[in-house]
Amino acid sequence: MLLCDFHIHTKYSDGSVELRRTIDLFGQAGFDVIAITDHVVNGDNGIGKLAHRFRLSVRENNFDEYISNVRQEAERALDKYGMLVVPGVEISKNYLSSEKSAHILLIDIKEFISASWSFEKIFLAAKEQEALIIACHPHHMSDFSRETLFLWNNRDKYAKYIDAWEIANRDDVFNVISLKKYPYIANSDFHRARHLYSWKTLLNCEKSVESIKQCIRHNKGVAITLFRN
Amino acid sequence: MEIFYVFAGLTILGLLAYGLQIWAVRSTLKKNTGVLEYWSDGIKCPSTPLLHHSHPPVSILKPLKGLDDNLFDNLESFCVQDYPEYEIIFSLQDYNDPAYKVARKIKDKYPDKDISVVVKQCNAGLNPKINNLIPAYDTSKYELILISDSNVMVEKNYLKEIIKHMDDPDVGLVSNIIRGVGGRTIGSVLENLHLNSFILGSVCFLDKFLKMPCVVGKSMLMRKSDLEAIGGFKAVKDVLAEDYIIGKKMHKKGKKVVLSSHMIKNVNEYWGLKKFINRHTRWGRLRWKIGGIKYLTELISNPVFMSFLPMLLWEFSRTTLFFALFISLTKVAGDLYLGKITDSDSNPLVYLLSPVKDIIIGLIWFVPILSNTVVWRGNRYLIGKDSVLSPCPDTGMWSWRYRLVDAIRARIA
Repeated sequence: MLLCDFHIHTKYSDGSVELRRTIDLFGQAGFDVIAITDHVVNGDNGIGKLAHRFRLSVRENNFDEYISNVRQEAERALDKYGMLVVPGVEISKNYLSSEKSAHILLIDIKEFISASWSFEKIFLAAKEQEALIIACHPHHMSDFSRETLFLWNNRDKYAKYIDAWEIANRDDVFNVISLKKYPYIANSDFHRARHLYSWKTLLNCEKSVESIKQCIRHNKGVAITLFRN
Repeated sequence: MEIFYVFAGLTILGLLAYGLQIWAVRSTLKKNTGVLEYWSDGIKCPSTPLLHHSHPPVSILKPLKGLDDNLFDNLESFCVQDYPEYEIIFSLQDYNDPAYKVARKIKDKYPDKDISVVVKQCNAGLNPKINNLIPAYDTSKYELILISDSNVMVEKNYLKEIIKHMDDPDVGLVSNIIRGVGGRTIGSVLENLHLNSFILGSVCFLDKFLKMPCVVGKSMLMRKSDLEAIGGFKAVKDVLAEDYIIGKKMHKKGKKVVLSSHMIKNVNEYWGLKKFINRHTRWGRLRWKIGGIKYLTELISNPVFMSFLPMLLWEFSRTTLFFALFISLTKVAGDLYLGKITDSDSNPLVYLLSPVKDIIIGLIWFVPILSNTVVWRGNRYLIGKDSVLSPCPDTGMWSWRYRLVDAIRARIA
């Protein structure tokens, strides 16, 4: 089984650990597959503008540099640790109300996708790039300030676009995903070194980007584990 | 005023002791240059190529439990040794241990190296490290064994440098000086400051001036025959300080216990403050149970803590404040110097935290006198003389005390 984490932030957005160190941290701990998914925040409101101003978001003008650095680090990680690193982003549509907010992981993304676009446009652009689409922390959480409920509340409309839902995020477990029988994965939502010890995904597939995407989409051979030291 | 003079005197005494520790560290490090020899034309050169030391095969026993900082690199550094013949045995108690995956990855990365991963439950005693070592020891092929902790990283010439001491048949055990590297959080910064000042200084001081074997178990090289002669691992299966006791038994048997000047790195990157406090409370208990009354000298050898006591016990005045600040700055300078001679990777500004660390260590010093229980790798034990462990009883006063502590902790969490 491959030990995986598909939700990891670095200093490219609001993570506290630099990209290289983040990769080393996961590599040193024996991970097989990780995705670097820094925030792309919507710039169409005050919250988003602040995130852009304080460089807590990947922006269109540094997206290529971001992807190129992740790919460079991915080569190093594969060579040194035998760990597959996949570039991604977390599209973060942030509003004052958690009912309106939504976070979406796009894994194996190639071109910039703006968080200010409509949901349909984001999903279609991601599908065009064959990126994996994951709904992040979709339900109520222990830390209510991080709640993003829009996708869950509108699941009838958007579930068809979503490849998998986070059934667990760091310390929270969302049993509603299980009840609805949606495809699932579990991630750390890594921002600090201590977040290494949290919910993770185990995949029973080959260690290649395509196999991993297929495994998650078909949701066979997927398990979750609470990774602790 | 008398109180101030008493504490000032003790503080100066502590500072002098610290000066001797620095001297001891310098002197130990100079051993490297002490073995330099001269080519026939008078040019200085390292002794190693000329002395033709033997290179007997060695079994490296690596007990693993959980993920240490930098684990992959630590283990990998043993796979790239510039040494002709050696085996590495990674030993674990459980397939579900997260370190198992790292050990397997290392084995897969170096298919041409003699690496084995042994997973075997062993409940021979109460010391979990010894329980972990016994299956590895049973598997090992060679007469020379090197016990090496999972949290150390070594240079390529490490094996060559330490095994040369074994050319002398009277040498029973070789251990190394360690330095803490890689602090990225407050806990690991404090840990590295302490390793690179008090621990490093004390080990070198005991070795140089008191000729006492003070073995730190992060690296222990010995012959199987010598280990068997002192009773093998079974003789230390129920003690907490197995490294110290092995060194002591070797010494008693008339074997030399050598402190190699080859420095190994103890990588501590992401420690929390709690982990730092827990480790030094445990080590403090250990020294209290082994050293007895000698443990009291540790407080005196903490000049920063002693210099702050007059402010608490006598009065907060300009004199006491300046005295404490002067001693703190002197200690910072001493730590900075130690860092310089040991090629520390720490930012010089980090040394300003040294007095804070010394005050925390001073407070921790009292804990072993008040309590004789120790929690190690999730297990709780009572600790007796010479660090002999016994299980914490499930009934009676102890159980109530710990149920209460656990309940409070659970509530806080």
